[in-house]
Amino acid sequence: MSLLVAPLMVLWPAAAVAALGDGRRRPVGWAVAGVLAVAVALLGALAVRVAADGPVEVVAGGWPADVGIRLRADALGVTLALVSVAVVLAALVHGVASRQSQRLFPALMLFCAVGLTGLFLTGDVFSFYVFFELAMMSAYALTALGRERRMVGSALIFAVVNLLGSVLFLIATAGLYRATGTLEMLAIADRARGVDPNTAVVIAVLYFVAFGVKLGLFPFHFWLPSVYGSAPPAVAAVLAGALANIGAYGLLRFEAGLLPRELALGAGVLVGLGSASIIYGAVQAVGRRDGREVLAYSAIGHAGYVLVALGVGGRVALSAAALFTVVNALGKTLLFLAVDLRGPMVATAFAVGAFSVAGVPPSAGFFGKAALFDAGIQAQSAATVILLFVGGALTFVYLFQIYQHQFWRPHPEDRPAPASARAVVAVVAVVVLALGLWPEPLLALSNQAGEALVGMVP
Amino acid sequence: MNLLLALVVAVLFGTGATLLLKPDLFRVVVGLMLVANAASLTVIASGLSRGQAPILPLTGGEAVSDPLTQAMTLTALIIGFATTALLLAMAYRVYTTHRSVDLDALSRSERSAEEELERGPAVEREETRAS
Repeated sequence: MSLLVAPLMVLWPAAAVAALGDGRRRPVGWAVAGVLAVAVALLGALAVRVAADGPVEVVAGGWPADVGIRLRADALGVTLALVSVAVVLAALVHGVASRQSQRLFPALMLFCAVGLTGLFLTGDVFSFYVFFELAMMSAYALTALGRERRMVGSALIFAVVNLLGSVLFLIATAGLYRATGTLEMLAIADRARGVDPNTAVVIAVLYFVAFGVKLGLFPFHFWLPSVYGSAPPAVAAVLAGALANIGAYGLLRFEAGLLPRELALGAGVLVGLGSASIIYGAVQAVGRRDGREVLAYSAIGHAGYVLVALGVGGRVALSAAALFTVVNALGKTLLFLAVDLRGPMVATAFAVGAFSVAGVPPSAGFFGKAALFDAGIQAQSAATVILLFVGGALTFVYLFQIYQHQFWRPHPEDRPAPASARAVVAVVAVVVLALGLWPEPLLALSNQAGEALVGMVP
Repeated sequence: MNLLLALVVAVLFGTGATLLLKPDLFRVVVGLMLVANAASLTVIASGLSRGQAPILPLTGGEAVSDPLTQAMTLTALIIGFATTALLLAMAYRVYTTHRSVDLDALSRSERSAEEELERGPAVEREETRAS
């Protein structure tokens, strides 16, 4: 069994079995965590292989290469798969440790991990859609699990808006199939040059809207704050740290990888929308008091950075977008998991996460921001550099507002969180710090990712 | 044929989009179903070609219609079925928790929850009053 198929083959049967078990019992939760840890280890090994030898490919079912469905791991896909599944693992352990009371929670997390692994590692547009729906459906169910009044309503709006995004994706895929006659990403990238420009622009815009909705970009953000604000911390961490990666990956893969000419046409619009996202998210976040709502608006703001990098374009900017997506996912996960807990260790971890998201060394976020600055300077765009600086400064302000609000004031009614939940937060904080102190593997992978995206169109 | 399909897709999508904007939750779900079916029809239309059924053994010389779009549509329909089931379950959940399927009533209750949040917890109000 190839290393590429192994994570899916571990996760998928385990998810089906876990759906039968009672997730409220902690042994079930810990067993699921074990399965996820195995998947993370396998994805790590795959990432090492991809970094050393370049993309790995398998055609499912032993069919000839142009008939069967191709699984393909390149640097971008494998990095995001690794980070997303690791985020799901951290969130699951956090949920099990803080005694979540939903029967299906561990199984849904596993299904979400299956979808995430599959969509990042597939080389076929339609199987991307299938895995993507699998991950999103588990997310809809996860957000709707709670009994709180507010949660159910916001989960329904989340589901309706994102399903509309999925439908647009399907229509765009039908158009792409009609125009190029294939569903394989590499072949599409090759044939997209011959497509009628009007058709290609319509397809590119449809893809942009579909992934903009997932990512929560400025004009499509309206569903995001209430969902992030009302979901339990573990689910919010999965939404912000793992599912938001789908939007960023989709924009990078479909726009920059498959339709780069159409992307270049819309560069001005992308930079404009990205800037609007950054400013809107930051200003709204500064004005909010509830910790999780601040983080939700912060997620809208940080989606904008990816868009600005896409608009700037070129190998350096695309690498920066990939790197930023990864470190931002880790930072957001840490913040969402830490914000509702109390204690000195959690406060330190939250501070590490805040430094990372604001882009201060020695945390991992510094390299994400530094790469974006580099891209802005190389494109000789003063406006981009100023925007990044202002966005970073505002991030710093609102995150330390929450820090002060949550950790400096006494909260007498709070019981201390269970030690294992605090331990998860500490481990994620250590990972963020370690990636900041030893960033070479991540930098190498993101450079390869940028090169692979530019190189998709010969 | 293409024109006819385009018209049907347009009508389905338009009706679905109109229903999506209604405040009644079940109309929203039905609207989403219509939009999803419009997408399935688009997928079928993307590979529309005349020919014999793509089942082996083929009779030689005749063109074969595209089997890929049919497989994709089947998958999309199954996914659409699952999403409809999930959405109906969620809508029922909204009904049992809120005793209403009216989205305006839902957002009103959400707004009051938000105002509660804006006012801050009781302890804090005491503090500000004291100072």
